[in-house]
Amino acid sequence: MIQVSVLTGFLGSGKTTLLRHLLRQPAFARTAVIINEFGEIGLDHDLVEASEDSFIELQTGCLCCKVRSDLAQTLADMLDRRDQGRLPPFERVVIETSGLADPAPILQTLMIDAKIAGRLVLGGVVTTVDAVNGASTLGREEISVKQVALADRLVVTKSDLAIGTQPQLIGRLKELNPAAPVLRAHYGALDPRRLFDAGLYDPGTKSLDARSWLAEKAHAHRHDAEITTYALVREEPIRAVTLALFLETLAEHCGSDLLRLKGILNIAESPDRPAVMHGVQHVFHPLAWLERWPSDDRRSRIVFITRRIPRPWIEALLDALDAEVAETEAGAIRRRVGEQLQLRG
Amino acid sequence: MNTRPDHVRELLAQSLAAWQVTGSVQRANGTILVRADAHEIRIAPAPPDLPFRWMVTIDGRTRGAISLVAVLRQVRAALDPGYAASRVRIAVPS
Repeated sequence: MIQVSVLTGFLGSGKTTLLRHLLRQPAFARTAVIINEFGEIGLDHDLVEASEDSFIELQTGCLCCKVRSDLAQTLADMLDRRDQGRLPPFERVVIETSGLADPAPILQTLMIDAKIAGRLVLGGVVTTVDAVNGASTLGREEISVKQVALADRLVVTKSDLAIGTQPQLIGRLKELNPAAPVLRAHYGALDPRRLFDAGLYDPGTKSLDARSWLAEKAHAHRHDAEITTYALVREEPIRAVTLALFLETLAEHCGSDLLRLKGILNIAESPDRPAVMHGVQHVFHPLAWLERWPSDDRRSRIVFITRRIPRPWIEALLDALDAEVAETEAGAIRRRVGEQLQLRG
Repeated sequence: MNTRPDHVRELLAQSLAAWQVTGSVQRANGTILVRADAHEIRIAPAPPDLPFRWMVTIDGRTRGAISLVAVLRQVRAALDPGYAASRVRIAVPS
């Protein structure tokens, strides 16, 4: 499986500078980069030098608008050319979005397009935030808020230029996305291993990168106007049927307002092997099953990043569905017992 | 089971808030009554001889619902005409 990471961030937030630095690192060899530039004359790809083992594909137009066809086709072509030996055998893909792109449709495409999804795995979302202008951008541009809210890693750039304002900015980032570690890049320099180990679940190692988003601090309710982050915690195992109905209802009623959902679940039918859940809007990955619980904490924990979806509705929904499924099960048992008693009589 | 209508009442009350619909949700004699936007909706447990769990009566017309998922779908369609449901999609396995 080839890991695909999404590098996003608002216009001028330092994505290209960061990428240029990363591609110079030996650890980042054999990386394929897709740069999405918005505008008739793209410049970013000229600013990035790729090593011999890496290469750059360019897409123009807004990736998030044309994403299903263009991005999927670009990735599929790259995989074909790699298989045929016409491209270096890249081991990682980084997609640098345009500064105006919504990352959610890009994540969806990576998850659902059959041409690519079987060979590629989402490695996480890295969002750059400019230390100088980041706070005002977050106050002004909704897409910037969404880019931050969806991130697995946040990188504050240009921090040498705005030393005094950083505590406020960091506080704001923590409000918007308490689970994502905040890293600082100095002239684009940053250890790439800290950035691109952000995948929720590594199918190769069957391990879970969940320390950050399962941290207790991520359970606190934070809010920003419309985008909210919260966690649902359940002590009791959740029945598989309840989970299926829950996800169906979330998808049906929340649609694009369910920005992202990640969770580790104690499924009643599989108490010793937790399930990892990951969804973007109405698209969900199949559950991934871990070999064992990563700690003694066996509670189900689901982290939601939403727009205008109140937490009490989510909680009431899960409670009501669970009660209904429990009743259905109890009714079925009663009927079976009744039938057996009739047979014996 | 007595707790079932309470869960349903709470879910419907929270649903109105989530959909930004002004209205009320009350429980009486095992039936949930929703009043909003000149609509009256009654939700009652289905009789045991029917293949439904719930009977939903919206402005006098009664239909069955096999689960709360279906109840929510019917209620929202009545109260939120601009609502367009999304279908869940499952990603290609990695």
